[in-house]
Amino acid sequence: MKAKRRVTTAKDIRPGGIQRGPTPRRKKGSAATPLSALPAQMPPTAQTRVEAVAVAELPSRPGRTVDVDLTVDLGRGLVLPNPILVASGTFGYGIEYGDVVDVDRLGAICCKGTTLKPRIGNITPRVTETPGGMLNSIGLQNPGVDAVIEKYAETWVGWKTPVIVNVAGESVADYVEVVRRLEGVPGVAGIELNISCPNVGRGGLQFAIDAGAAGEVTGAVRRATDLPLLVKLSPNVADVRPIARAIADAGADALTAINTLSGIAVAPSRTKPLLGNIYGGLSGPAVKPVALRIVYEVSQIVDIPVVAIGGVTELADVLDFLAVGAVAVQVGTAIFADPALPVRLVDELTEVCRERGLATYAALIGTSLPRKPGAPSSKGVEYRP
Amino acid sequence: MRLVRTELVDSREILPGQWLQSFLAPELASGVRAGQFVHARTGDLSGLVLRRPFSINTANPATGVITIHFRTIGRGTEWFTHLRAGDTVDMLGPLGRPFEVDPRSRHLLLIAGGLGMAGIRSLADEALRDGRQVAVLFGAASARDVYPSSLLPDEVEYVIATDDGSVGHRGFVTELVPAYEAWADQAFACGPAPMLAALARLATGRRERLGVAKLGRKRGAGKPDAVGSPAARRKAFLQVSMEQNMGCAVGACLGCVILGTNGQPQRVCREGPVFAADEVAWESGW
Repeated sequence: MKAKRRVTTAKDIRPGGIQRGPTPRRKKGSAATPLSALPAQMPPTAQTRVEAVAVAELPSRPGRTVDVDLTVDLGRGLVLPNPILVASGTFGYGIEYGDVVDVDRLGAICCKGTTLKPRIGNITPRVTETPGGMLNSIGLQNPGVDAVIEKYAETWVGWKTPVIVNVAGESVADYVEVVRRLEGVPGVAGIELNISCPNVGRGGLQFAIDAGAAGEVTGAVRRATDLPLLVKLSPNVADVRPIARAIADAGADALTAINTLSGIAVAPSRTKPLLGNIYGGLSGPAVKPVALRIVYEVSQIVDIPVVAIGGVTELADVLDFLAVGAVAVQVGTAIFADPALPVRLVDELTEVCRERGLATYAALIGTSLPRKPGAPSSKGVEYRP
Repeated sequence: MRLVRTELVDSREILPGQWLQSFLAPELASGVRAGQFVHARTGDLSGLVLRRPFSINTANPATGVITIHFRTIGRGTEWFTHLRAGDTVDMLGPLGRPFEVDPRSRHLLLIAGGLGMAGIRSLADEALRDGRQVAVLFGAASARDVYPSSLLPDEVEYVIATDDGSVGHRGFVTELVPAYEAWADQAFACGPAPMLAALARLATGRRERLGVAKLGRKRGAGKPDAVGSPAARRKAFLQVSMEQNMGCAVGACLGCVILGTNGQPQRVCREGPVFAADEVAWESGW
């Protein structure tokens, strides 16, 4: 256990994650090999990252087109065609945008949070715009896991894009039961645990703010399913690292960071809070610096891939998140304004790789992380409570 | 539903703080039905992250022009007022479900409170085109907020109520409704929620009060249409166009719900914005 908790460095981070069989490793001496000469399917490793940085710094060679491989392995066989996902709650069950979005071009779809029993959600108003973002308090409205499977799984089977079902619950048993029902359902490619829910068994304390509870629910779900398992971190904690570590140790295949920040808005009458539920979750460009900080902190201390989410509205945001160690990003709130954005980001990311002569985007990952192995990653410690 | 690049052709302040804007959008103008809406995106430099929903006020398939009518209530609507002719606006639409008019309805009663006129305005055009008679009952706070009759088709009977009595009936627009109850075959309303709730109360029991015969029951008798289906809505006397804070406007985010009488949240953007009055749980406080 102790060995697992060692502080890992950027060099250890790779989209393939841990334990997934032999990963092709290359000799350091071969750093001069152009990346385009590598087999396209090869998972990007720490070594290829180093090589690719070297390639990236060369002037681009116009006229040479390379096939860019954007695939990313989130572990346990969940290989996404590209690293641009759509975030839970912003894309429904994948069908709502109809012809406006070509779902087959997305990296993955995280569907609306799903619970064991149907939930009618919170009273209205449920959404409002805030400076640089929006607050929402939908309250996990959903028809329940059985209805979700019955209504949508058949459609999902026909898509090339993997569908990751976002799962929420009020007790460990809830999560386990939902996941059991999703296990083996054709069309369900993976699970994303929303652990920012009150744990009824522990007096309403959120799973996500307690390392013990987060590890417990992750472990219980891990034992219940062989589906690829992502766990979504909450930013509403003093230090996210012990929680991330507990989740990784409990067997999650990947982490998603971050969920929304807790906030409120005031009604125009100034007589009450605006949202029916009083509290809402803040998302959008306003939360991006917080998300970057958390991805930066977490990607240095866990061996599993980190999927970043928080305020992505353009390619620069994607590149920022990759630079702090994320292997993929989710687009959320920005879809509401620009439904075509996720697909455009895939094209733009391909274009960036092509311009820099990269065969994979792995070279873009972790470039802003501390370079020195074992360098302290807690520089911001002074601002902590 | 499609993403359309539209071009502003005209923008004017028709009432204090209320704007009427015309956009060239042939794709929207031809396919749209009364009651549907568009979700318009403010420019990148506006710093806003959500689109703004607008009822389609009028649509002219011949010229390809649609109009929207709004009040400046925040940064989003404010942004739109700064547009100049030739500026482009990205719109998603047409969205939502339209008003369902029974083919046998000869007399349509349209009831609007304030900006609710934007919700029912295009139904007046559509009904007149289909050869129906239209009466519009309009309520506002005072004369300065009264929708200009010059912007309505000549064939429409236009009756006004103001809270202060500065023009027309003194009182609420709902007080005008009983006089038209027998005349109207169907009623369509848009406005503040308390007004719509009052209209829903007025409409209950109308059939019994007036002794309206139930027609068209020979086929499929005893098999009621599914609640919320177009067929069920066509048979409803009162249909209302609802309003709610909106996120995606396509049914993905579940932000813009109202509570239905079936106990289930109904998405204003997808199941609505038009609902039969008896589909809405008016006393729920949602």
